[in-house]
Formats: sequence, structure tokens, C-alpha cells
Amino acid sequence: MRLVELSRAEHSGLRIDSHLAEAAAAKQHLIPIVASEFRKAATQYPIVFAKSPETGRFAAFVLNGLQPQENLFWSGTKLDTAYVPLNIRRGPFFVGTGESSGGANDNVLCIDVESPCLSAAGQKSIVDPDGSDSQYLREILAILRELLDGQEPTSSLINTALSLDLLCPIVLDIVLEDGKPLQVEGLYSIDEARFRALGKEQVEMLWNERLMEPIYSVIISTGQIFNLVRLRNEREALSRAWRDTGK
Amino acid sequence: MAHVIRSICIVGGGTAGWLAAGIIAARHRSQDGQPAMGQGVQITLIESDTIGTIGVGEGTWPTMRTTLKKMGVSETDFFRECNTSFKQGAKFARWVTGDPTDFYYHPLVLPEGFPSLDLASAWMEYSAKREDAPSFSNAVSYQEAVCELGLAPKLITSPEYAGVANYAYHLDAGRFVTFIRDHCVNRLGVHHVVDDVTRVVRSETGDIAYLETSKSGRLDGDLFIDCSGFRSLLLGETMGVPFVDCSDVLFIDRALAVQVPYAAENTDIVPHTVSTAQKHGWIWDIGLQSRRGVGYVFSSSHTTADAALGELQAYIGEQHRALQPREIKIHAGHRQTFWKGNCVAVGLAGGFLEPLEASALVLIELSADMIGGMLPATCEMMHILAKRFNETTQYRWDRIIDFLKLHYILSKREDSRFWIDNRDPASIPDSLKDQIELWRYRAPGDQDFTSNAEMFPAASYQYVLFGMGFRMVTSHQQPQRPAGAIEQAFARNESLKVKWTKTLPNNRTLINKIKEFGLQKI
Repeated sequence: MRLVELSRAEHSGLRIDSHLAEAAAAKQHLIPIVASEFRKAATQYPIVFAKSPETGRFAAFVLNGLQPQENLFWSGTKLDTAYVPLNIRRGPFFVGTGESSGGANDNVLCIDVESPCLSAAGQKSIVDPDGSDSQYLREILAILRELLDGQEPTSSLINTALSLDLLCPIVLDIVLEDGKPLQVEGLYSIDEARFRALGKEQVEMLWNERLMEPIYSVIISTGQIFNLVRLRNEREALSRAWRDTGK
Repeated sequence: MAHVIRSICIVGGGTAGWLAAGIIAARHRSQDGQPAMGQGVQITLIESDTIGTIGVGEGTWPTMRTTLKKMGVSETDFFRECNTSFKQGAKFARWVTGDPTDFYYHPLVLPEGFPSLDLASAWMEYSAKREDAPSFSNAVSYQEAVCELGLAPKLITSPEYAGVANYAYHLDAGRFVTFIRDHCVNRLGVHHVVDDVTRVVRSETGDIAYLETSKSGRLDGDLFIDCSGFRSLLLGETMGVPFVDCSDVLFIDRALAVQVPYAAENTDIVPHTVSTAQKHGWIWDIGLQSRRGVGYVFSSSHTTADAALGELQAYIGEQHRALQPREIKIHAGHRQTFWKGNCVAVGLAGGFLEPLEASALVLIELSADMIGGMLPATCEMMHILAKRFNETTQYRWDRIIDFLKLHYILSKREDSRFWIDNRDPASIPDSLKDQIELWRYRAPGDQDFTSNAEMFPAASYQYVLFGMGFRMVTSHQQPQRPAGAIEQAFARNESLKVKWTKTLPNNRTLINKIKEFGLQKI
């Protein structure tokens, strides 16, 4: 990966294949999301919390696989899901903190010039022939905006959940159809019993802070783990059939 | 009408006083932190602002993790406030032969498979045949390797008080007192009186009735805890419980303590206590965040303070020129009983031994926890509590004395009378002689330590015995069953060693991260 600041003049000729952006998720079992995505994400994935190995702080993720580097939605060409997280859809674009424009905290739009999405056969470009931002770039900017704006509410949700003692470690103790045991560790979720035991004042606070919806999204989304197990079983069955026919 | 013990008065605001206050208060607080009306106990701690604290004890046991957690202290705050660092056991240098390369570890991680597997006997047989056999602690535990590389015992993703490898702490005793005091006063409802005790008034029964103070009038209590330090104001001076001297077993009676700054801000912090034997004692070396605490404990009947100072300066090196060591007199021993009438001593008021295995703070924790666990109770049954407390506490002191002495009798050093006298059979407790006899034929195991008041696990004895080259007769050993279990345990240790030496972070790096980002509670 090599990030450079995007220049509409310099990069006007770039062609981008936005479908290839999804390939970046092929080996990710955890994809970070922000609170504004919870409701949509909950229809497809378990939403979990996990600690950053660098800081130990919690972040929110959608769980895509039952072990590190496994993405059960990756079909080989695309993510087979009705909701692709913003962090994947933003493709080869990133937000960097710039030094060039003076203030150290200025956000700078960057592009990974080593991304496989950059391809001469790509359909998308960042500027239209008249030099204005393309529809594609405007969509990307909206995605990056949502991710940036989503940071504060997401950490506020996590901090509130921590202060109310609502996060709890979940250990997925799964036995696959072929009898193979599987343990997934290091994941956290909302403790439903503790959530239900909250007092009136705390519930009112969550309501006022608009945290009820994301919390319920997390609780409901845990059922998606069954979907991951189903996908994994299918995958195992497929590879067994493959091996058996090979004999 | 039974008189329930409701008010506890603690005298002394050092580590013992505040730890005892915190431990008992945490056990008996209601949900909001305050004792409910008519329930629980009210704790008052009186401390003088004219009497200083000793403030040396800087090494803990892993028990301190549970102690702080139960008190409701955040481990992150503890690292931020108390100059705290990780301690993964002790490295004993030059204790056996005195050679510069002579060292062994007493790590906190138990031998692999302990106690169901006896790796000690297998290691003994193997090492008898092979010159290149790994040291005992290296063969059975991965912690020595972690310590030698200067790594921390956990990850930034490990929750508070949880670790990858078992650990304890090094801490700044002065800051620790302030930290615990604030927690006790602000969170646990401990009543704090800053004043001098002018008189201890006894009732007709001989119990302590109340304390007279210079400014605060009279302080009542059902139970008085003496945390007044070496002075032993209540138990010793008032109740007249005599001191039992142990200097015939443990000769150390002086300490020269000094604080050594690091060469640079990012100098590595050693993740274990280093104890280096000297001609007439040994030097402790404890790495905190901002400095090291170093001290020479020696026997004044074997050397002079000047000669000891010379040895300490040689250990510290050039840096010693800017430093002024503080001399502390130590009386090895303890009170004949620890609880008399309605008075119980915790900390130095109960006794003191050289800090070879960091037994001071852990004894405070265990004593306070035992007192807290005895409540609720009535004043009428106090003599039963006293009897139990005395039996248990006496047992603990005896085991600590035995274990400390073990380090001396296994030494082969001949370079001074100090080391030779230490091996004189007349100076060795019978209980220890008996154990050593039994261990000539089998490794220390749980069958040797059957009290629920045990101090050191059998594993600790194994680490010291076999670390110091004690040889066991193995020809009468039964073959190990199931076959292969021993080999598998050694192999498991090797793979843990590879895994954790690759994964665990540098000690200072992790401590800096804890200070910056904090550890999560879960």
C-alpha cells in the first residue's frame, strides 16, 4: 500500500474498477463499521466489538468468518451479501491527515496507488471530461464523510456501553456438521441480561442519546452467527465433495 | 445482649494501615460504598502527620491483583499513579557459587502440568546425564525466557488484572499509600483522622477502651488494628506482647536503601526483581517506571556499614556518587502473638523479615483479609477469633522463615563467615531440616503443604531447590504414567516459550501503552 494525496489534475486519467474493491475483504474476518451502519449491517452479519491490538481499545466490526483471515461471504469474485460495509466500498480511497495544507489535523483525501482497483480496464474515473468531480467520486466522498462523522458516535456508543458494564466477552464454541470443534475468541457483544436490568434513568439516557437503535441492532445481529455457521458448513461440505470426487 | 463488632479503629497510615482499611472496608461495604445503617462496619484510620512511614516494601505477590480488584481499584489508575511496573518473580544472582554467571529464577508461572505431573524428578534424571541440560526453571516454565528478554507478562488487549503469564508488581511505596488512601476515603467510606495518639486507655478487662488524641478527642472502637510500624504501639507497648527475635536463623539486620535514576527516559524496565548475593548479604534491585529501588541488606555482626556501603557502591557503579543511601535497622522477628484482647497487629507492628521473597505486603493482605472474613462477629467471641488468627499467622511466619532460610542453606559460597554461619545446623529450624530430608528422595509436592494457610506453593520450593543445585536421589522413583505425559509437558513448555517470547511486548512499551490508552476492564 502506498497512499498519496489525490490530485484531480494529476490523477484525472486514472481508471478504477470499483468491483475489485471488495477483493480487499477476501481475507478479513473482521471489518470495521460505524454506528450509522449498524441497522443495515445487522441484516447480514453479527455485529461484534473487538480490541485493537495496538491500543487495546474497542471498535465495532461485522464478523465475516469464524476464524482469522476467513471471509465466508467472499465468493472468489465478490462479497455475496446485501450490505457491503463502507470501509470496503470506499475502494482505494483513504482519509489521511495532511501536513501539506498547513494544519496538522486537516483531513486529506488519499488514494492507494498500489491498489489492484487501479486498472486501465476500469469503468470509473474521478473526474468527468469537463473537469468536475464524477458521480463516482462524489459517492466516495459521501462514504468517507459518513465514516469520518461516524467515528465520534461509534466511540461514544462503546464508551457508554462500557460505563454501563454492557459489553461482555463472547466465546463462540461451535461444533461443525463434520464434528470439527471451533472456538472464536477475542469478540465482545452486548450482554442482553444486563441491558434488560438497566434502571429507568439509564434507559432514558440511552433513548435520549439515540443509542437504543444501535444497541438493539447489535443484540438482534448476534443471530447472524447461525448464518456464518451455515456458510461454513456449506463450504466444508463442498470441499469434502471436491476431495471425494477427486479420489 | 451480644455486642456486634461495628467499629474498627486502625492506628497508622502507612501501607499496612491503608491496605487493611481498604481490604476490610471493601468486604463489608454496601452497594453504594457506604455502610448501611445498623449494618456493616465503620472503619476509622488515625495517622500522625509527624511520624514518617518506612516506605520501602516495593515488591508484591500476585495476590495484590486480587486485592486491588476486590477493592474496586482500576489497574490502569494503579499504573498511572504508583510508578508501577510488572514483576514476574525473582532472579537470584550469585547465590550458589558467587560466580558472575551464577543465577537462577524463581518465576511466578508454575511448572508445566503442576501439580499433577512431577517434572522435577524427570528433569533431575535428565540433567544428571546431560551437561547441556537447561536449568530447571527454563525446562519447566516459559517465564525465565520472557524475563531474560525484558518482556511484559501481558498484552494491551488483556483485561485489567488478567495476564498471559502470572505476574505481581513493583510499586513506589510512598505513592501507593496516597493512592490507596484516596480510594479508601473517597470510595470506601473510611473515616480518616490526622492526629497523634497521646494515650491508649485500657478497660478493666485489659482490652483497649479508647484512644486519646491531641486534637480530635477520644476515638472508640470495638476492634483496634495496630499498624503503627516497628513501634508496635498497641500490641507491643500497650498490650505488652513480647517480640520473638529470629536473628539466630536470619542474620540480616541492616538495610542501605537508595533510589537510582535511569540513564534515559526509555531505558528498559527489568520485569522481575533481581537479588544479587554479596559478601555479607544481598542486594535487591527493583525497576519502577522512573527509577530503580536498590538496597543492600546485610548482617552487621559480619561486616561494617562502611564495608557494606562500598559493596553497594560497586554494584551501582559510577551513578552512586550522586546518591545518598538511607540506613534502616531491621529486627528479624515477630510478636509472640498477633491478636490479643481486642487488638490485632498488621504489618511491621506484627513483625518483619528481610524482603527476600517480598513477604511483607502479602502478609498485610492475608491478615487483613482474614480479619475481614471473620466478621460479622461479636465482641464476646473475640477470643475465638484471636486464637484462630494467631494459629494461622504463626504458621505463616514459620513457613516464610523456613523458605527464606532455604535460600541460605543451599548456597555453596565460602567467601565469608556470613555464608558459612548460615549453613550451621544450629541456625536451621527443625521443620526445615525435616523437609530437606524428605526431599532427598522426592520433589516438593502438595503433600508437604497441607494447610489452607500455606504461603508458598510446593512449586516455589522446587524452583529454589533445583535452581540452587539441590540433588535428589531418583533411583527409587516409580516410572511416570501415563507414558509420554512428561515428554509432552516439556514439549508444551518449549512451544509456549516460542509463542510468548514472540508475542509479548517489551515491558516498558506495554507500561507506556497502559498509561496512554488504559487497559479495558473486560
